[in-house]
Amino acid sequence: MIPALAVPVWRTLPWRTLGAAGAAGLLTAGLSRLPGTEPDSRLALGLLRGAALAGALGLAFLLDDPARDGTTTVPTGRAARTALRVALVAPVAALWWAAALLLVPGAHRPPAGAVTLEAGTACALALAAATVAVRHSDDPRPGRPAATAVLVTALLAPLLLPSRWALFTGPEDPRWAAAHDRWAWLLAGAVTVGVASLGEPLGHPFRRTADQPT
Amino acid sequence: MTVTVSASGLSLRYGGTRALDEVSLRLSRGVTGLLGPNGAGKTTLLRVLATAVPADRGAFTVLGHDPATARGRQELRRELGYLPQTPGFHPDFTPFAFVDYVAILKELTDRAARHREVRRVLDEADLAEVRGTRIKKLSGGMRQRVALAAALVGDPGFLVLDEPTVGLDPEQRMRFREVIARAGEDRTVLLSTHQTEDVAMLCHRVLVMAGGRIRFDGTPAELTARAAGRVWSSTGRDPGAKAGWRTGAGGFRNVGDPPEGADLLEPTLEDGYLLTLDGDPAEVTA
Repeated sequence: MIPALAVPVWRTLPWRTLGAAGAAGLLTAGLSRLPGTEPDSRLALGLLRGAALAGALGLAFLLDDPARDGTTTVPTGRAARTALRVALVAPVAALWWAAALLLVPGAHRPPAGAVTLEAGTACALALAAATVAVRHSDDPRPGRPAATAVLVTALLAPLLLPSRWALFTGPEDPRWAAAHDRWAWLLAGAVTVGVASLGEPLGHPFRRTADQPT
Repeated sequence: MTVTVSASGLSLRYGGTRALDEVSLRLSRGVTGLLGPNGAGKTTLLRVLATAVPADRGAFTVLGHDPATARGRQELRRELGYLPQTPGFHPDFTPFAFVDYVAILKELTDRAARHREVRRVLDEADLAEVRGTRIKKLSGGMRQRVALAAALVGDPGFLVLDEPTVGLDPEQRMRFREVIARAGEDRTVLLSTHQTEDVAMLCHRVLVMAGGRIRFDGTPAELTARAAGRVWSSTGRDPGAKAGWRTGAGGFRNVGDPPEGADLLEPTLEDGYLLTLDGDPAEVTA
């Protein structure tokens, strides 16, 4: 059944939103190649982080489904459908991120593994936010609140996080390795929350769950 | 008659609002109408029975399947067709592609058999001619029929229809009634509506909800009979009437407790419905 679903689900994905976010991300990364720009490692890292945020904001809309009301009650579970959506978009997202990395001049490109971990975590956080929104609301378009949550988090985290928990460090910073340990934990947390929220929708927030169907 | 849907004590709160309050019911094959004012709990009841949202308390079975377990819920969903109050679509899909998508979600995996089934329900919903037209180019009535076709695909034994005729013109409503009546011949259909004519024309049984509770459970004739002797005509507005309006003929039609010697009229289902809503909230007639 999943192979039969792949084509129609591919068609239901919010390609315009994903495309706009992807284009914004590539443009951001590509700023480092603008004539007259004096690229440096710090700028390149900032631009790649901006590109990752753009991509994550696009992915927050991945679970938007205008037909949700009529397809909530089909026997194919939501976990399978969500997993299929993620699986379909993952290769595209990987190619897009590779392109964003290549747009940054090699001499100034930050360590690809570390910055890819940051981008992957941002995307996982966006997907987790969307999954939580679907589980706790009837909204067929949970992307907007999920994207807002991701954007606010991304803007506030560098301001509010204490130095010992810093995430947005540079490669030359002695906290770089420790920061990426924290990124890895964040990624694990986002994946855990996302997977834990794949159950059937509860309809609205803070529902008592004692009598929920198992 | 064989009971196909049985619910007892269904309750659900949204914040401080009691959307369902100890609702119990038993349905059998045929079309059962669900009437009630806005906010009565009709949509919530339908969503609970369609497994779109779980109840806080209570239990129900559909065709012997208990949704309290994951397996039971999945079995129930295999027997379910659900048309929500505001069906959404992927606007670039055609009716064929959309119903085919829903058919795959309903586990119809054999491509040839599935396409036959999709064509069958599109024919049944009178959409054969527009099956290749994008949904965004269809009228509201046609979109509603696409949603009905999606509900019908897979030949479900239990059909839940939430105000399917709202916003349709008289001809479209007539066509919808034909489809619903056909569906009710061999299925259990629960039809929520504001249109008492739909209930009078289609349903062998009617439930009236208000305040999250079932206020009436009986046949349309029994609901109509509740207004026997309580509908009368007068030349002017009768201040004692619970509801009254000037008719096209010039006189007033009143519903309520008639004065002595009033000129009584034949009641309609709507009269019975109005008086049921106006009655004692604790009173349930079965």
